[in-house]
Amino acid sequence: MDITLILEMIAASMFGAVLYTIIGIAPGTDETAVLAPVTLVLVLTGMEPIVILAFFISAIVAKKLTDSIPVAIAGIPGGVMSAPMVEHAMVLKKYGLPDVSIRKMASGSVIGTIISVPLSLMLANLLIPVGGIIAEYSNQIFFGGAVFLALMTKNRWLALLSIIPFALLIQGLRHLYWGIDAVPEDFTVFTSFFLGITLGPIILRLFELMNKEIRNSLPRQKSNNIALRRQKKLKGFPNPFKLLDKKEVGSSAAGSVLGVGTFFMSPVGMTIFLGEVLTSRIKDPIKKASRAISSMDGVTNSAYIAGTLIPLIAIGLPLSPTAIGPGIALFEAPPVFTEDHNLHHILSMSDFVVATVIGAVIAISLTFFVTIKYSQQICTFVFKYIPHEALLGVFFGLVIMLAYRDAGLINIGGVLLVGLVAGVLHRWGVNYGVQFMVLYSAPWIVMQLL
Amino acid sequence: MSKQTPANKDHTENDGDNIEVWEDIVSPKDLLISIAICTITTLGGYLIAPNDPSKELMFGLIGVVIGFLICSLIIKPKRTISYIDDEEK
Repeated sequence: MDITLILEMIAASMFGAVLYTIIGIAPGTDETAVLAPVTLVLVLTGMEPIVILAFFISAIVAKKLTDSIPVAIAGIPGGVMSAPMVEHAMVLKKYGLPDVSIRKMASGSVIGTIISVPLSLMLANLLIPVGGIIAEYSNQIFFGGAVFLALMTKNRWLALLSIIPFALLIQGLRHLYWGIDAVPEDFTVFTSFFLGITLGPIILRLFELMNKEIRNSLPRQKSNNIALRRQKKLKGFPNPFKLLDKKEVGSSAAGSVLGVGTFFMSPVGMTIFLGEVLTSRIKDPIKKASRAISSMDGVTNSAYIAGTLIPLIAIGLPLSPTAIGPGIALFEAPPVFTEDHNLHHILSMSDFVVATVIGAVIAISLTFFVTIKYSQQICTFVFKYIPHEALLGVFFGLVIMLAYRDAGLINIGGVLLVGLVAGVLHRWGVNYGVQFMVLYSAPWIVMQLL
Repeated sequence: MSKQTPANKDHTENDGDNIEVWEDIVSPKDLLISIAICTITTLGGYLIAPNDPSKELMFGLIGVVIGFLICSLIIKPKRTISYIDDEEK
């Protein structure tokens, strides 16, 4: 491996860490919606695959480190994954310990990363022999996954019934594009439909804003009131193992190991579940809360890293919630990456190790240090100067551009249509997981209906 | 869409006209403006780029950054921040 490639990986990792430190803090940013479009664009620009992987690993580590900052300081989740931690962080906030919260969460994250990187690489290696068999039945697995996830939702019959119509919508648009020569016969529109699903809830809301009755009935607010607590300064370079007590290190580590083993399950679900299991016996509220947040952050981090690396290395298909969500661009980003030609096929085991280690080390050393030392300042800056509208505008702009790139002007309408339907389904409780699985298995589902 | 300037302070401070989108409070008007600006700069960058797949995306990305900077400058975040001082324990 030559020096320029390593330097490129370092540069990309630094870019990822800085960008997702800021995005991580912005309230409510969904992991898939913020990670997938940017990674997709980088893939499509033709960046070296190994550099993309380093960028992605650094981005998820940085995002997971920083999305707990607004939880601790303001009780607002910085992302979907940090939502389960709000309850426990609020306990610490109540006792006036938000700085403790941040340190415990960030340290849990670091432990999760340190444990999950080698463990995921090992588990992936063990799974390589069966990877080929799994890949052969991918359509059935994705369809089965959609059915399974649909049955797990609150409105299970609604979710189940939506699978076929949604598959028809996707295939219908693809065949229309082929029929009118909007795209060549051998090109399947995927990326922009994926993004349409991701931004579905926002697209739906935008359409609603144009409806006077709905607009007038929406709850109005003047501003989002956020109370920040001033923190005490910490001296010296932070050490995650000193910021946690022995038991917290133990349960974060245990949580991380379980997070790797359950890479194919929903990370949010596992975080809630393991967080409860690991702390249910502790009585003292402060101890319980700090134990919970440190181990939960360990779980989310390791579930994310394992969910990305294991399917990438062992299978080559996005068979985990992380892979099919935020990490989708590493698997499927036509014309650069396809099912038969993606990171799984391009990179060797040592490439995976090098890229992952560079990404993780850079994100931890930059973001962990900054998180612990300057969380208050960063939070204030983001809350004060970065308008939420600008973030929404950026992702909308990216989606429109990628829609145009995929199949021209007509596809902007197509993506809005997909987004509109996906947004309604999402509001009815048909979650992203079901929709992504359907997007993947749509060609197969439709063929079964003939 | 009305033609008043989005950064107009009186607008954001006087009426409780804002709604929640994606877990944070936004003004519908500013949101539409931001989406319009970002779409124009992004797609515009993409379209004026020389005819080369990777350059098109690079120009698009530059467009996104420009759009983001413009929006951050002209739109005021709808967040009110207050500080609570901790007593030393």
